[in-house]
Amino acid sequence: MFKLVRRGIAANLGRLLLTLASVFIGVAFVSGSFVLADSLRAVFSQVSEDIFAGIDAQVQAVEPELSSGFDLPRFDGALTEDIRALDEVEYAEGGLFAFEQTYTLDDEGEVNRPLGPPVFTSSWGGPSPVSAFTLLGGEAPAGQEIAIDQLQADTAGFEIGDTLTVALPTGQPEEFTLSALIDFGEGGAGGSYFNLFDLATTQRILELEGQVDSIVVAAAPGTDTDTLLTALDAVIPEGLEARSAEDVIADQEEEFGTVIDLIGNVLLGFAIVVLFVSIFIIYNTFAILVGQRTRQLGLLRSIGASAAQVRTMMLIEAAIIGLVAAVAGLFGGIGVAWLLKQLFSTAGGAFPDGPLEIQPRTIYVVVVVGLLVTLASALIPAFRASRVSPLEAVRDGGRKERSMLFRVVSGSAVILPGLILLGFGLFADIDGTAERLAAIGVGGGLSFLGVSMLSALFAEPLGEVLGYPIEKVKGVTGRLARENASRHPQRTATTATALMIGLALISGVAVLTASLLRTFDQLLEEAIVADLFVFEENQGLPFPAVVVDELEKLPEVDAVAGFATIEARVDGEVSDVAAYETATGIEVVNVGVSQGSIDVGTGGIAVLSDRAEELGLVLGQSVEVEFEDGFVTELTVEAIYQEDGFIGAPFVVDRALSSEHVASDDVGFVGITLAEGFDITAARTAVEAAVADVAQVVVQDNSEFRAEAEEQISQLQVIVIGLLVLCLVVAFFGIVNTMALSILERIREIGLLRAVGMTRSQLRASVRWEAVIVAVFGSLLGIIMGVLLGWATVTAVPDITGLAIPWTQLVIYLVVGAILGVIAAYFPAARAARLNVLDAIAHE
Amino acid sequence: MPTTSPTISATMAARAVDAIKVYGSGDTEVHALRGVNVGFERGRFTAIMGPSGSGKSTLMHCMAGLDRLTGGEAYIGDVAISTLNDKELTRLRREKVGFIFQAYNLVPTLNARENITLPLDLGGGDIDDAWVDEVIDAVGLSDRVTHRPNELSGGQQQRVAVARALATRPDMVFGDEPTGNLDSRTSSEILTFMRSAVDELGQSIVMVTHDPISASYADRVLFLDDGKIVHELFAPTTDSVLDAIRDLGH
Ligand SMILES: Nc1ncnc2c1ncn2[C@@H]1O[C@H](COP(=O)(O)OP(=O)(O)O)[C@@H](O)[C@H]1O
Ligand SMILES: [Mg+2]
Repeated sequence: MFKLVRRGIAANLGRLLLTLASVFIGVAFVSGSFVLADSLRAVFSQVSEDIFAGIDAQVQAVEPELSSGFDLPRFDGALTEDIRALDEVEYAEGGLFAFEQTYTLDDEGEVNRPLGPPVFTSSWGGPSPVSAFTLLGGEAPAGQEIAIDQLQADTAGFEIGDTLTVALPTGQPEEFTLSALIDFGEGGAGGSYFNLFDLATTQRILELEGQVDSIVVAAAPGTDTDTLLTALDAVIPEGLEARSAEDVIADQEEEFGTVIDLIGNVLLGFAIVVLFVSIFIIYNTFAILVGQRTRQLGLLRSIGASAAQVRTMMLIEAAIIGLVAAVAGLFGGIGVAWLLKQLFSTAGGAFPDGPLEIQPRTIYVVVVVGLLVTLASALIPAFRASRVSPLEAVRDGGRKERSMLFRVVSGSAVILPGLILLGFGLFADIDGTAERLAAIGVGGGLSFLGVSMLSALFAEPLGEVLGYPIEKVKGVTGRLARENASRHPQRTATTATALMIGLALISGVAVLTASLLRTFDQLLEEAIVADLFVFEENQGLPFPAVVVDELEKLPEVDAVAGFATIEARVDGEVSDVAAYETATGIEVVNVGVSQGSIDVGTGGIAVLSDRAEELGLVLGQSVEVEFEDGFVTELTVEAIYQEDGFIGAPFVVDRALSSEHVASDDVGFVGITLAEGFDITAARTAVEAAVADVAQVVVQDNSEFRAEAEEQISQLQVIVIGLLVLCLVVAFFGIVNTMALSILERIREIGLLRAVGMTRSQLRASVRWEAVIVAVFGSLLGIIMGVLLGWATVTAVPDITGLAIPWTQLVIYLVVGAILGVIAAYFPAARAARLNVLDAIAHE
Repeated sequence: MPTTSPTISATMAARAVDAIKVYGSGDTEVHALRGVNVGFERGRFTAIMGPSGSGKSTLMHCMAGLDRLTGGEAYIGDVAISTLNDKELTRLRREKVGFIFQAYNLVPTLNARENITLPLDLGGGDIDDAWVDEVIDAVGLSDRVTHRPNELSGGQQQRVAVARALATRPDMVFGDEPTGNLDSRTSSEILTFMRSAVDELGQSIVMVTHDPISASYADRVLFLDDGKIVHELFAPTTDSVLDAIRDLGH
């Protein structure tokens, strides 16, 4: 038995390797997503541990429920002295940390910053034994001195002793001498930049005199952490807490964990899609192998192999392939993880260095997934193999095609429930997008299967139609190609399936993203009325609201509004709230006010219509709002609005009110309309001059701003399609495989053609054209399926309103599909042409 | 050597009673066997002749448990084949029956010896190596046991097939034109070997053949026409077989 399996594998090595390749890719992605996530987690926890080395406890504000910024709440730094005075304390130091506040400037006055990761401003924790930072060279900063990280220094070309101009949140850049280069923890912090000053300077430039956001504490010798915490609790006021270093580290790890899990899950999602495609390919390969081995299977049955033995034999073969693919995929995954790290790094993300982590969990999951996927795909072919009659050993005439009736019945049995579910998901009155998408997902999956089962029905007529022009142009080779493609509809359909699935996924996504883009475009068109926009170029990060005041002074400016998103408790629920100058905001952004006036003033609030309905709020009613500083007020509902797409929050308050109650008065963007009689170019220059001191922001006009926003979605599309191209790679292996098998099936016939005078090149041409027909057939079906599924999804998601079908892209996919077919046919065609005529005729 | 048709009895190696086989249905109905009664004695070599399409292969397949009869019954020893389920049938094929096909009946990925022991391997029991060696020796393949089928001549391949059929010491060996693809010299080697298996090992063999010379190796020749046994001949010679064929009008 094992011998038979082993020899069978050896004899079919080539095609099994191709099958293996498709399992491998899927498995490698699963493994890669685990390895990457685990490695990141390990690196970040190492960083956290480095930072807290030597520290036993930290005093910080109790995490507030409401907070609009990224920064920790600040408190009075005088507490540091009280803590130092404790007997249990060896050492204590206050620190102040801020996210995206100061930037070093280059010669042109542009900010230095990495592409993805943030820029941190922090007080220098040294020269204490507990500093989070390590001096790489130079002296700790004091007064008008700054220390920066090595990465930033290298990138910007700064050296110790240089005078750096630093943009500050005050809007007044200052000069600092570069006194030191530092490292955060050990091994950097994922490409972030650091600007460090002594504590007093940090407090001054952040306009937080006397404030700190944490006090780190080292215990006196012989004092354990619990004793230390108890002692600290006795001196710290209400609203602050003392936490052990372990707890703080654990919290940080959890925070990193969410982001890392997200990356891991996205990768895993792609892995699942790739595995889905692989299942079809493995199934196909085994189905064809069984077909080709019918005679041999019949022979085994005739000399006494039981059905169970034949089945086991096929399954062992599958298990071996699955296992090999899984092990290879495990290592491949390490490659994938490494590659992704490089990719992120070249994109500016500079992943922290660290070894790749391979946890036992990764190994089991990968091995189990590889095995299960392969075995599951081989199950049906194995059962079919076990049902081969012993008489097949003597029967001539190759593979039997399944009856059309059987195919129609079984295909319909799958596709009908699929379509019903799909229709249900699309048109039925279901609450919730998730349920709707689930119905569409399962329905779509079933329809997929059904179409692939039924595709043999279309293979004959479509093969004839697609082959017609080829026959007209290429004569006899074209005719043979056409006949071969339409003669065995099942074979053609099987070969085409792989491509069909790959292209269906890609075109589905193409339709979805094109529709998203159109929807977004419509949204922007309606929402944006401002002439000019000011925002942080890189990531749309918040910047100081002083900009708004500066701009108001300009004669060129008619209306200006700065938009912030804060957190507040509205009617008892924590929610995002948009805050802007509501009197002028209407000139800048159109939120589709349906009732009342959006100029709500400091005593009013505007509510999104959906939310108003949910909360039962009507115009004139009052609602309780609590801000992050604890301030509670009753606001009157002054307006109901329809469009939250652009401001991204279900409530609007006036910024004059909110700015009084937030920790840092920042805005996400500023919109401006120009006064009558001013030329836009001149006005823009004036605006640019006015915001020059806040170096990180840029000014764009309406159409530039819109283009930029759209650009971001297009990038998303590129990334998604890029990863889906992987499915095409898998599909490509599939089509090479099935193409090779389908040629092998016909070796005798090929010998005959050659014997009656067909030349090698004619033979190659006919195989190639057949491949084109088959590939176009598969691509066409796939694209149709994809467009239908994309359309279905667009219909199901209420937020996507503009269905768009990217025809040009689809045509490109069709051509790519055909080209893939030709490439896939290259080796089988060459092999067929090389065959010795007599050997071919004698071939079993 | 008997010269009259033996009475069909349960002690025989294999027999068919009122065997009927119909392929297809309606317009395409083909009556391949129309009530065949035949018994094959133990330790005898029987040949079956008849024109193409007369039902010879069908009879072999149904008696060997490769296919099922439409009516009547086929027995191996006293076991009625139609009463067996798939598992029992598999066991019967593995242990009680040997089958030699005309061609293509070796597993290409296994070598000669592995092909011969395949039914034993499938059975999972201990393999009687001495017996296997004896069989291999008898068919003259001792120096070829590690060769794959594609490294063997047609005659050698067929010897492997015969050895495989004998390796399990089955109650009955069926052959469907086992020498049909071979030249006369190779044929005679194979037939001599089959003859000696009957004489020396007491094996029971029945084979289909078109060739009067091949038929003359048998103890008895049955003539089939249109799904019925129409004639039989004992202790045949090439000439007596030719005469019979002429008399039957072919
Ligand atoms: N699988 C089958 N389906 C339909 N008809 C068959 C099948 N096998 C054999 N036949 C028909 O049964 C008759 C007997 O065939 P067979 O036993 O192969 O004859 P022989 O071996 O004597 O040439 C022939 O008419 C043949 O066409
Ligand atoms: Mg026959």
